[in-house]
Amino acid sequence: MKSFFQLLMLLIAAFGSLKAQTPADNIMMDKGRFCGALIYSNDHWDHYWEGTLKRTNGNLGTVTRQSVTPMFSLGLTRKINLLASLPYIWTQPSDGYFLGDKGIQDLGIGIKALLVNKHMGPGRLDLLAYAGYSTPLTNYNKDYLPFGLGLGAKEGVLRGIFQYQLDNGIYLSGASSYHLRGNIKIDRDYYYTDHPIYSNIVDMPDAIMYSLRLGAWIKKDLLNVNVSYDGMNTQGGFDIRRQDGPFPSNRMNNTMVNGFAHFYPRFAPGLSIFASYGRVLSGRNVGQSTAYAVGLAYQFGVWGARTEMAQ
Amino acid sequence: MKYLIKYKIALFLILLAFNACKEDIPTSFDYEPYAYAKNDETGGTWHSVLIADVSKLNIPDPPAAGSSAELADLNELKSAAANPTADQLKAIRFWANDGITRWNELARELISKYNLPPSPNPDGTYSVPSSATPDKYPYFPFSHPTYACRALAYLSGAQYDAMIAAWSQKYKYNVASHQSADASIKLNLPISNLPTYPSEGAVIASVSKIMLTALFPLEKARIEALAAEHETSLLWAGRNTRSDIKGGDSLGVIVANEFKKRMGSDGMKNAQTSKAVSDSIKDAAFKRFGWSWKNLETPERPVGITPLFGKVKPWFIPSVEAVRPGPPPAIGSDEFNKAADELKNIADNLTEEQRRIAYFYGDGIGTYSPPGHWNRIALEQAISAKMNPLRLARVLAYMNYAVMDAGISCWDTKYYYHYPRPSQVIPGFKTLLGIPNFPSYTSGHSTFSGAAAAVLTHFFSGSKAEFDRIAEEASLSRLYGGIHYRFDSETGLAVGKNVAAYSVGVAALDGVD
Repeated sequence: MKSFFQLLMLLIAAFGSLKAQTPADNIMMDKGRFCGALIYSNDHWDHYWEGTLKRTNGNLGTVTRQSVTPMFSLGLTRKINLLASLPYIWTQPSDGYFLGDKGIQDLGIGIKALLVNKHMGPGRLDLLAYAGYSTPLTNYNKDYLPFGLGLGAKEGVLRGIFQYQLDNGIYLSGASSYHLRGNIKIDRDYYYTDHPIYSNIVDMPDAIMYSLRLGAWIKKDLLNVNVSYDGMNTQGGFDIRRQDGPFPSNRMNNTMVNGFAHFYPRFAPGLSIFASYGRVLSGRNVGQSTAYAVGLAYQFGVWGARTEMAQ
Repeated sequence: MKYLIKYKIALFLILLAFNACKEDIPTSFDYEPYAYAKNDETGGTWHSVLIADVSKLNIPDPPAAGSSAELADLNELKSAAANPTADQLKAIRFWANDGITRWNELARELISKYNLPPSPNPDGTYSVPSSATPDKYPYFPFSHPTYACRALAYLSGAQYDAMIAAWSQKYKYNVASHQSADASIKLNLPISNLPTYPSEGAVIASVSKIMLTALFPLEKARIEALAAEHETSLLWAGRNTRSDIKGGDSLGVIVANEFKKRMGSDGMKNAQTSKAVSDSIKDAAFKRFGWSWKNLETPERPVGITPLFGKVKPWFIPSVEAVRPGPPPAIGSDEFNKAADELKNIADNLTEEQRRIAYFYGDGIGTYSPPGHWNRIALEQAISAKMNPLRLARVLAYMNYAVMDAGISCWDTKYYYHYPRPSQVIPGFKTLLGIPNFPSYTSGHSTFSGAAAAVLTHFFSGSKAEFDRIAEEASLSRLYGGIHYRFDSETGLAVGKNVAAYSVGVAALDGVD
């Protein structure tokens, strides 16, 4: 139900790739360079998993979640980049009588480090680490899934990323992240999960996400394309019971395939456009989303002598 | 290297900023076991609701003073209480003050667990839970608000009559505390100088077990295990001997069976009607008023929740007609339009505080429902007043009788007037809360709350303002959620108050408040 996650994964995908605006040895932006991007995403589903039972719901029809997200990254050094994002989200069912929701969701900030970058055999190996933190900026309704803007939890993320790229531009990359979540507070002080809880505090399960990606840089960095297999495994949480509503501490799992393309027109240095498309293959307590996103990025030098692309 | 250090510092700060420590989240109401404010020695003469004469109930006599049976009892008690394990101490504390709180919590837990409407079948039809095959989906019961108010009334009512019976027997036999018979018996709870035979805790365990098993048959094994733990914890506590417990248990059985008899014949089994009966009720309303309510789900549910709950046998109101309010405004009238405009205005400008109230009192599917909410409030009040179990059961019983009568009255009104929900008649009107599967006028939340607040005010007059505030908020929460008109809520509150007066009138006969 929490297509929030699909969005998150999509953003991660886009985020990761955004930084990969140049080939892997230039995954990081160079010192003093700034990149701003604006992404529109659309995620919708009419089937979802109630626990492990796949079903539709005539009182929801198709649930659509859209967002516009400004994202920024800044090269502190060639090996350390700062990142930030802040989605504005709106949700809507196609049928039934539930109100959708809309508003600013969570501010995400992070730091990304290129730890290893060396030529090995017929290609180059990069190892990177990312540490991030996100927090809701508004008191949005956390107890209103699948329409709520997010889970409402403060979240710390640690991610490891590797990429091996052949000299001809073909690459394989993978990422895995651990998402540590803080408890959230909801508007009622009694709720039932698989047992009763007399509190407005919800103990949020952590999550692990992973991604394996096969891609290529084509025509001397004119185009970056890849396909990925992505997944999410919530560490704990409970299943939605028959005909019950979803809840932020559900055990939300899924697997997903995504395709991504990023185009850097030669006539407009610094400007690029990108798009992704994905589909959930399997899930538990989530919607079977079909999701796409399009984005526009522009990067330029803020300080330092170099104003051209790092490469 | 420098960047690595920076990176580590940043990571450390991130983890620090992040609230990583997980708190203990309560799953029940935690309170310190307490000594009772009063013993209410004459409690055995208070008005019992279903048992005609509690003094006529027969239980075995306790072992004679100085008999070998008594000695065996005391020896067993001494050894059971001597060195309780950590788990036993936990159980003693959990069941302290005779467990009414815990049985009430269990009832609320089971109401929450079973408060889920049947899922539609693949062909778009709906199945109905059946008490004959409770384990076949949809499981029995579906503990919607009317099931919930009735469950709590029978549980609390049986507990209260059983407490009156226990008090009657206690002061008849007048067996002093076992610590006064043998000072070496350890007591792991605050001192109580209530006569020990029969054990009031065992009465509660037995009566609650029978009532809850009848109400939630699939939970039989769990309920029996809890009742066994409750009774045994009285030994571990050093409070009651095996004879006290047996005597209490047998008294509980007698009282519970009387309540079960009434429960089986109160009309509830006819309350969830066939579609034909449901349609005839709807047609009658349409002929009378020119409107009728319909379920707004997809696929449409053919029958609302318990159309004939209004025909269930009430406790104290003389009849549903005696408390039935006048009709709501005609659809499209000025008064109706004003109420509809108010809802649209609220929805368009909902504040965070209004949203909080809508959710805080939402008490919808998967929860203990408004009757459960008020039981929680009542118990916390009664415990802070250090009430003995007789007094505490009395508060719950009169409140839950009134709340069930309020439910009966409200459901009569709902299906008599068959008034559409706002989303049925205001084009494009969407809601924050799920739209309940029964007519709009009057609001169930408001009627339950009006009744509960009025009864609690009788017992705890110092908290009147607080009860009124809660009832008012619960009532308004339905406007904020977009599922009731103001007149549904205001009329419901007023009717709830009227209904409660009958319950309070009976309670007042005891002359002890």
